[in-house]
Amino acid sequence: MPHQCVRCGTMYGDGDKAILEGCKECGAKLFFFIKKSHVEESKKFTDNLSKKEKAEIEKDVLDLVGAKLEEEKPVVLDFESIRVLKPGKYEIDLVHLFKKEPLVYKISEGKYIIDLPEVFKKKD
Amino acid sequence: MGLYGPPNGGKTTLANRICEDWLGETMGSVSRIAHETREIQIKEQIVVKSGNKELMFNLVDTPGIATKIDFEDFMKSGMKKEEAKKRAKEATKGVISSIKWLDEMDAVVVVLDSTKDPYSQVNITIVGNLAARNIPVLIAANKVDLKKSNIEGVKEAFPQYDVIGISAKYGNQLEDFYAALFKLLD
Repeated sequence: MPHQCVRCGTMYGDGDKAILEGCKECGAKLFFFIKKSHVEESKKFTDNLSKKEKAEIEKDVLDLVGAKLEEEKPVVLDFESIRVLKPGKYEIDLVHLFKKEPLVYKISEGKYIIDLPEVFKKKD
Repeated sequence: MGLYGPPNGGKTTLANRICEDWLGETMGSVSRIAHETREIQIKEQIVVKSGNKELMFNLVDTPGIATKIDFEDFMKSGMKKEEAKKRAKEATKGVISSIKWLDEMDAVVVVLDSTKDPYSQVNITIVGNLAARNIPVLIAANKVDLKKSNIEGVKEAFPQYDVIGISAKYGNQLEDFYAALFKLLD
C-alpha cells in the first residue's frame, strides 16, 4: 500500500525507508495511508493544494488525531475514515468510524501499530 | 442516556429543556449555525418524576454527527474564515467523540428535525448502529411547532421504534416524551 507525505505530497511504496526516516523531499514524518485504487485520485487532489494549504492540513490532522508535532516518530494516517479535502473541508465515512476500524496507524522503529479500536473503547 | 443525531436537530435545546424542567439550570449554548456543540456535555443525576415513579440518569449531550463538514457553510452564516475553519475542525473531532462515547450509553434518544427528510445516511447509520449494539432507542421528532414538520414521515422511516413528536424549544408534548423515557429506561 502506498503512502503519501502530508506536507509535500510525494508518494512512497509500501515499506519504503522514507516512511520511517522521513520524507526524502521535505523531511516530514506524517503520511497518508492510501489504498492502491485511490492513488490517482489522491495525487490529483494534493497536486491542486498550495504549500500553505498542505501545511494547514498537516497541522489540522495532527490536532484531530491528537499526535504531537514534536514527536520524532513517524505517523501514518489511515484516512479512509476521515478525509481532509482542503483546509476546513472534511468528509467523514460514518460506516468506517462506527465499525471502529483503525483511524490511525503509528509506526516507529520497525513496525509498531497502535490499535485504535482498543483506544476507542475507553473514555477520553 | 445520550442525545444523538445530526447537527441542528435540537439535541442541546432538548438537553436544556430537560435540565431546566428537572434541575432548574441549562446545559449548553444553542445556535442556528450547525455544530454549535463540539464537545460532549454531561449533567449528572437528573431525576425525572412521573406520578409516584422516579427515574434517575446522567444526561449526555453529544456533538452532531455528519458526513461532511465544510467551513464555507459556516461562512455563509456570517462567520469569519479562520473561525469557520476552526469550527469545522472541532466539529470533525466532535463526530469522532460522539461515536467513541456510544459504548458508554445505556439508552439513546435520537433527536431528529421532523421538517427534514428522515432517510439520510446519518440517521440510518446512527439508528442502525444503535440497533446492532442493542442500545434501547427512542426517537424524538423535534420541531413539531414548524409548519413543515412531518412526524408521520419519521414514524414511517423508523417503524420499529417509539417516535415522539416534540418541540424542545417551546416545550410541546414534553409529557409524552418523559412518559416514553420511563418506558425506555425502565
